[in-house]
Amino acid sequence: MMAQVLPAARRYGIAVVTVALFVLLAATTDGFLSQANFRNILDQQSALLIAASFATITMIAGGFDISAASVFVVAPLFALQVENATGNAGLALVAGVAVGLAVGVANGLVVTALKVNSFIATLATSFMVFGAGFLISDRSVLRASTDAYPAIARTRWWGITTGAWIAAGVVAVAWILLSRTRFGRHVYAVGGNAEAARLAGVHVARVKAVAFALAGAAAGLAGVVSSSRTLSALPSDDFSFVFGVIAAVVVGGTSIAGGEGAVWRTIAGAFFIALMINGFNLHQIDPIWQRVIQGAVILAAVSIDAWTQRRPQ
Amino acid sequence: MKHAEVLVSVRNASKRFGATQALDDVSVDFASGGVHGLVGENGAGKSTLCKIVLGVHVLDAGSIRLEGSPLRLSSPAEGAALGLVGVAQELSLLPAMSVIDNVVLGTEECWGPFVSERANRRRVEALTAEHGLEVRIDARAGSLSVADQQKVEILRALGRRSRLVVLDEPTARLASHEAAELLDTVRNLAERGVAVVYVSHLLNEVLSVADTVTVMRDGRIVRTGPARLESHASLVEGMTGRQIGEVFPPKPPAPAEDAPVVLRVDGLDSAGAEFSDVSLQVRAGEIVGLAGLVGAGRSEVAHAVYGSVAVASGSVEVCGQRLSGSVEDALAKGVSLIPESRRDQGLMARRPVRENTTLPHLRRFAGWLGIRTGREQIAAGRACDDVGVRAESMLAPVSALSGGNQQKVLFARAVLGAPQLLIADEPTRGVDVGSKRAIYEALNRMARSGCAVLLVSSELDEVIGTCHRALVMRRGRIVAEHESGEMTEAGLLAAAFGPGDGTDRGRGQEPEAAVGEPR
Repeated sequence: MMAQVLPAARRYGIAVVTVALFVLLAATTDGFLSQANFRNILDQQSALLIAASFATITMIAGGFDISAASVFVVAPLFALQVENATGNAGLALVAGVAVGLAVGVANGLVVTALKVNSFIATLATSFMVFGAGFLISDRSVLRASTDAYPAIARTRWWGITTGAWIAAGVVAVAWILLSRTRFGRHVYAVGGNAEAARLAGVHVARVKAVAFALAGAAAGLAGVVSSSRTLSALPSDDFSFVFGVIAAVVVGGTSIAGGEGAVWRTIAGAFFIALMINGFNLHQIDPIWQRVIQGAVILAAVSIDAWTQRRPQ
Repeated sequence: MKHAEVLVSVRNASKRFGATQALDDVSVDFASGGVHGLVGENGAGKSTLCKIVLGVHVLDAGSIRLEGSPLRLSSPAEGAALGLVGVAQELSLLPAMSVIDNVVLGTEECWGPFVSERANRRRVEALTAEHGLEVRIDARAGSLSVADQQKVEILRALGRRSRLVVLDEPTARLASHEAAELLDTVRNLAERGVAVVYVSHLLNEVLSVADTVTVMRDGRIVRTGPARLESHASLVEGMTGRQIGEVFPPKPPAPAEDAPVVLRVDGLDSAGAEFSDVSLQVRAGEIVGLAGLVGAGRSEVAHAVYGSVAVASGSVEVCGQRLSGSVEDALAKGVSLIPESRRDQGLMARRPVRENTTLPHLRRFAGWLGIRTGREQIAAGRACDDVGVRAESMLAPVSALSGGNQQKVLFARAVLGAPQLLIADEPTRGVDVGSKRAIYEALNRMARSGCAVLLVSSELDEVIGTCHRALVMRRGRIVAEHESGEMTEAGLLAAAFGPGDGTDRGRGQEPEAAVGEPR
């Protein structure tokens, strides 16, 4: 019995822990078990889930993409400029995603063709993209000029915001792409053993480049959804978004070394962190202490992961 | 040579690893001021014997004495403290640090907490002068040639006042003039009173440098004697006296004269200098061995045919269709390759058996919503059953399987492609005897079904026991062809080593070589 339970617990550990946290909060916290609260959590997590589900794919392919923060900040600036100029929210959405895709393609080319370490490459492109954000926004806040732009993420279907619906759709696409397609298998192969993948006929560079390109597009979409929720976008050079993304991916148990992981893990990781913060807020814990505890929890999650990896299967 | 006195003596040593008796009642003496050559096939116990003397392994039975007093080592650090040092085949230098820093690493001369650069420099200069080892001591270790790095390793050993130095295949990665230089260094070491244990597959090298030679086979010592009484032939005879036995299943029938030629390689030249003007043919149902020494260019030819390394000129045709030189094209035209190192080139260790089996063949399971895993599972399961993979589940990570079963997963991957041509590069490396037999049977089955098989192997008995025909490569060229009836280990070895097989000092023109490769 134990022999079957233990490997399963190890495999689905993050899901188990997230459910346990859910039960704990439900039992101890007033106001947690309410539809409004859940809708709120879903809506708040939508942008992160969109970016993190594709960041998972990049990380499994052995890449480390920190340009998501810059794309997240700058893609909506482009989108809003387009919206302000044309009044067309659909065109704005396309522009935002296209900016992300362009940055992702550039990252992919630098990493695969020039063989620059992906952390360094995406750090460098991040600065360039952040800078471009200040240029195109003329260093000021951009606001939506139509009602259609906010509607992208704020419309409610069956009580749930379209932002959350978009996130659900993107997660589903990433999940299927990774777990059910040839491309997904190639992603695992490239991250797990690039030389073996090459000898099995996998186009290693192409797979990596596509992973970076998709992650860029997803980060662009995340930025548009986020700005649609808040009705505006502000140029900055704030890296914090990508740290949230990486935290979700890593707490979920996807390996930084590549070759291992899953989209469902990232979802579980994202909700674990979101529930924790929700619990803190409902208990009115000092936000400064929240950070300390959040850091400790991430450290614990990653340590447990490293520890289980060390043990034989 | 100064008259030698025994430094380390090993008596009745035995060591077992799992089911393998690595050392069986071995007794040998290593003398100060002499070079002691150690030869034998893979798995003969050479490395185990050395590691026991160095304290890496602990004996199951028997004893070791150092200058007459009992020696019980439980770690290599203890051995090093007593002056027993190994220079590994894989160098362990810090490439970014200077030669001086590397040599004194761990034994730095200090002034309080501060490293005394000057004292260290003096010490290293004294060492190089004393032993006549010329190295640029201020250079970064990583910028040196392999030969010079080897010298740094030796300096490091000397700097610790070593009394016994074990050199395991020290010339394996050296060019021939560098190797000759290293052999001088080794002689020099011995003349200064160090006991040198010299392990090598290069018999000429051993004969030229050693005073005493011990021949090992199957964990036992065949004989120990003065090197001058041995010849190349006598060493080979001593090392390979083994019966081929029941390891090999009966060969499939040789292909008919008019069997179609599946693989036709014409005038293939590598883009580097690994091989040149290679032409060969393999017929349907034929198993052709590609024998030769390590570094002779066999794996490179295999990869060139498969399209995974670039060629400068020449052509490869499979079933009359010319290959374009990409892996994808080779796979599409029915070529499968089982690479030399399953860990580095073959498997995704942490992915399931199923995914490892189907990786190159995913297109055929395509459905409207991605891969049809049901079909994939059935096909992968069947392929794994075909070659006898024993796995608890097709979803278990491949790293959970034994080495033999991991190798069989690579065979299953190849079988699943129903190839016209199977290239197997050292397919039995590091697998147990039972799995070897299963792998040979899988090769035979492929041949019987009309597949052409090209087997790259360093194991001569394997080539003789499984192949219809053997091609021998030497220094990047095919130099001999032996038909099934006329294959002998001696014949293949002679072709692999080439003419001028004397016992002269140095190693002439031979490439990095081995009778069998280290496992």
